[in-house]
Amino acid sequence: MDARVEKLASEFAALEEAEQKVLLERAAELSLRRGLVQLSEKYRKRLQQQGEQDQTANQILAKLKQLREEIAAREYPG
Amino acid sequence: MSILDEWIVLDTNVWIFGLRRVPDVPACAQLLERLHRLSVVLPRQILQELQANLSEDEIKTLFRLLSRLSPKVIVNWGKTQQGIITKYQGLGCKLGDAAVAAHLEELGKSRRRAFFLFLPPLFLQVASRR
Repeated sequence: MDARVEKLASEFAALEEAEQKVLLERAAELSLRRGLVQLSEKYRKRLQQQGEQDQTANQILAKLKQLREEIAAREYPG
Repeated sequence: MSILDEWIVLDTNVWIFGLRRVPDVPACAQLLERLHRLSVVLPRQILQELQANLSEDEIKTLFRLLSRLSPKVIVNWGKTQQGIITKYQGLGCKLGDAAVAAHLEELGKSRRRAFFLFLPPLFLQVASRR
């Protein structure tokens, strides 16, 4: 295990149980937020490469509405 | 009632506007930043719409992130019932919206209730000014 992780683990172990719980929740929250930011950046980069990043909200919404109907028609043809 | 205390379904536009960070609707990105505070259900119709918008790698990343929120996230790939869709079409919904409404009705029955958060652009513009 690398020394930095070992140090963090020791510091964590030294905390009170309630503090550990709060810290774990906060770390999970930050990790999720960071993951979503990275996903968003990757997605936006792809859209930029495809020339779609500058679409307006109304243009995106219109495409989503069309997509919704196409999927539903395929799923529920009856 | 608060969306913090309810099972909610975010409509596809909320996910997409949030991930794209569409400037006109910043509330969607702000909502995704607070995802850890919500209990979210993703029904089949929404999942398929997300799949159609995101690449395979992107959707895998999204699912991996959402799995961290378990048990506060439910991914439901089950199809909904034609009879319930027909009911909502009879109330004036287009087929796609009727399918989503049918999913919600079924989720509401199985989960006691579910609050469907559909955020049209006008609402978001107003909300983001607050």
